[in-house]
This record gives sequence, C-alpha cells and structure tokens, in this order.
Amino acid sequence: MSAVSGLGKALVVITGASKGFGRALALSIAPRLAAGSALILAARSDDKLQELKADLSRGESGLTVRCVAADLGCQAGVERVITEIRDIDPDIDHLLLFNNAASLGDVSRYCHDFTDVDEVNSYLSLNVSSALCLTAGVLRMFPQRTGLTRVIVNVSSLCALQPFPSWVLYCSGKAARDMMFRVLAEEEPDLRVLNYAPGPLDTDMQLQARSSSADDALRNSFSVMHAQGQLLTCDQSINKLIKVLLEDKYPSGAHLDFYDL
Amino acid sequence: MQQHPTSNEICPEPRDLGRALCIITGASKGFGWTLAFQLSCLLKPRSVLMLVARTAEQLNRLKEDIINLYGGQNQLDVRCVQADLEKKEGVEKTVQAAKETSVSEMDHILLINNAASLGDVSRFALTFTDPVEVNRYLALNVSGALSVTAGVLQALPRRLGLRRSVVNISSLCALKPFPSWVLYCTGKAARDMMFRVLAAEEPDVRVLSYAPGPLDTDMQLQARRSSGDLQLRRSFSSMFSEGQLLSCEESGAKLMKLLLDNDFQSGSHLDFYEL
Repeated sequence: MSAVSGLGKALVVITGASKGFGRALALSIAPRLAAGSALILAARSDDKLQELKADLSRGESGLTVRCVAADLGCQAGVERVITEIRDIDPDIDHLLLFNNAASLGDVSRYCHDFTDVDEVNSYLSLNVSSALCLTAGVLRMFPQRTGLTRVIVNVSSLCALQPFPSWVLYCSGKAARDMMFRVLAEEEPDLRVLNYAPGPLDTDMQLQARSSSADDALRNSFSVMHAQGQLLTCDQSINKLIKVLLEDKYPSGAHLDFYDL
Repeated sequence: MQQHPTSNEICPEPRDLGRALCIITGASKGFGWTLAFQLSCLLKPRSVLMLVARTAEQLNRLKEDIINLYGGQNQLDVRCVQADLEKKEGVEKTVQAAKETSVSEMDHILLINNAASLGDVSRFALTFTDPVEVNRYLALNVSGALSVTAGVLQALPRRLGLRRSVVNISSLCALKPFPSWVLYCTGKAARDMMFRVLAAEEPDVRVLSYAPGPLDTDMQLQARRSSGDLQLRRSFSSMFSEGQLLSCEESGAKLMKLLLDNDFQSGSHLDFYEL
C-alpha cells in the first residue's frame, strides 16, 4: 500500500458505523489499511454491525474488525468503546477517530417547545459530551509518540455555522462540537483535527429531515434536493474526505465543507 | 462588597424599557448583580424584577439594596427566586415564577440569560473523559438557558403591544477557542447558535447575544488563578494588574443602551469592544 493511497498500519475507530455515512466510511477506508490494522465499529445495533463486519471480511485480510454495540448517550457506552481498544497492538503508524455518531433531535418542534431539560440534556449527552469523552479516552490510550500520526475527525455540518429554523438541537450540538474540536486543536499541536461537513447526504437522517422538519421552507428545500437528485451519495463525500486526510495539508481545527473542496 | 451606583449615576436618560417583567439569572453577584441595578432604574412603575440565583441570602440582600435605592417610589416589585438552573427543578421553578406574574398590563418581557459557570479551566480537553462531568456543565450552561427561555416564551406568548426580548450573555469564547477552556468555549458556542436559531424562528422576539468583555468579577478571578494554559493565565493577570478589566457597570451600560436603542439585528453577537 503506497503512502499516498493508504493509511499504513492503523487503528481506525468509527462511531455511528451501522448505517449511513459511518457504514460507508468503514467500507471505503478498510481497503486503505495495511495488514495488521484494526477497525473498531461502534453503534447501538449489534445486528447491523455484524452485517457490516461480514461485508468487510469479504475484502482485505489482515484487518481486525471489532464490533462494539454501545449507546454513546450514556457513560457505559463510551467506556465500552474505550475498553475495546485497550488491547489493540500499539505498534501502529496511524490512529484515526471518526466522531460520526449523531442524531437530528426532534426537528418537528421549535425552540420554545424545548421546555424539558431532560430532553435537551439527553440530546447533548450523545451529540456533544460523548464526542469529547470518547476522543479524550482514545487519545489517552494512544498518547503522542514519534512515528504515530493521530487524526481526529468531527463529522460536522453547515448547521455548525448557520442557524436553521426548527433545528435548534442539531445546530447547537454541531456548533458546540466544532468549537470543542477547535479548542482541542489549539491545545494539542501534534494532533490533526478536522471538522468535516459532508454536505447533504442521501441517508436516513436526510429522510427524517425532509419528512419531519417543522419549518415549511426547510422541509420543501430538502424535498426538492431529493427529488432533483441533488443529494450526495455517502461515497461521493467520503472520497473527498479521504483525499483531504491523505493530502494532510488542512490546518488543524479547520472546518471544511464538501462544497469547499 | 461592590459599590452601589449613586442615584446621580443611574437614570441619566429619560428613555425606559417599559412596564416590564424583567428576569435575570445569575443575579446574586458579578454582572447579573450590576444588571439588576441598572435595569431597575429603567423599568416603569409596577414592573416586576425577578432575580434568579442559587443563593437566597445574596438575592434578598440585592432586593433590599434595590428597594432602598428607590424607597418604594418606583413601585418596583422585586422578586427573588432561589433556583439551581443545573437542575430540572430549578428550571421549572423559574418558569413557574414567570407564569405566576400578572403580565396583562405589561408591554415588555425581558429575559437575561446570565447564569453561567467557567467549568474546570485548570484542565485540558484530553482530561475530560467523564461524560457525567461534561453533562453537568452543559446542563447549566446550555440546556438550562434553552429550557428557561422556552418556558418563559411559552408562558408569556406573543401578543400585540408586547415586546419580548431575550439576551444571551455571551463571550469572545463563543467565537474563538482558548486552550484549557474547552467547556466554557463549547457552551458559549452552543448558546450563540441556540439563540441564532431562536431569532430565525421568532421574528417578533428581539434576541441578542452580548459579549460583555473581560469583567472584573469572581469568574475573572477564577480565570486568572486557575487557567491551565500558562499564556492565558499570564494575559489575564496582566489585564488585571494593568487595570484593563472592565467594571460591570461600564459593560452593563452598553447593554442598557443596546436595549434602549433596540435597533440591533435580532440574533446577532455584539461585543463590548465593537460598540
């Protein structure tokens, strides 16, 4: 595997790996990993993870694939993922963590409807806290050393930068995450930190967006995008992401959007 | 003990914020405490000033001080609500207090989301491995602000002749990352976005994220004593020793002007130093 197209011997962790962008990412990245690499897939659905693992095993050998069924919205879930990577052979060139797991939140409601702190707390626990705690845990498990490149990717969104009516939880969570990873980039200059906004992907999340968004204009524009074939496939977006990661020229902490690249 | 503004220093302008229900969270000290005084002088008679904080004693003292200042002439109804906005009960108690206020004769509802915490700034992002700690931080600084705002807006809905204003006490940290300040920066960034969404959804609500500048408060003390990043700690210390910190009064006065002028773009982030 050449240095340009491959990631060498790597430990790759992908959250929200059971479907959508996370799943496609696992399938795209596996062929780029050298023998002896490990791919850790985390999601709530063990069934879907096992299916993915089966799909992956048809490809490269020499790749260890581990499935971790975990709800990152709770402490035990985060801990389970960290535990899983504890016994991975530390002799790797590359560590990549893709913080992809996320939820849209209830987009059928407006700001003034979120009177229940429990609901908001639960949303932030999955979408903000778990990303920070998992990142911290993974990086502590594989501390800085010569010969090890550590990459942290935050799957971001235009919503991190721009407000959308009826999307308060998602926008707030994405804005929080972008800032979180910017602080991390400031603190740890040896890390490669990327906030990647993948563009409007044709996934279940997008389906939820176009069927449930309370804001009429937003719902219509999603429907139009879908009807006119303007949604991106996950692969289209992932190809750009991987190119950016391999070129490795982005400023750490930057927010890059599919449409910027 | 902070100095009281004198009667001559306050109420220099004939403009006012109407007959209002004005709610200030984190009112027991620092910026919230100062805002309570400054706002009390801009509210028309028979307004209600609701002061929310965790410590009843400090709130009661603040109430006394404000009442003493007016000797009852202003007919300002000052109410203290002891509530911990990190907790569901605290949020509900605050919203309930707002609901119980008779607002039929009022022309303004003004909510100042000021309550906040710095988080443990002695540590770096990689040490935040405990979701319970991060969740607690977000519960106060993000969820609490959203749910209080939602509750108040629902309890006091839109009607002709009623101005509704929501202020988010923001920070430069909402826009710029600072080493060893991951929780605070993250919380402020979330809040700014939250209130931008609110502004986009509710064109009749006047939403403002106000970054007050570096204030001489307990929070600032904590910043210069505890920040894990050496450079940051030094720059806070030199701001302090060179007298570059702002008084709460100075910054509060700019916020008062923004509210009186009422021509800010709803949802915008405005910084003391830009005004």
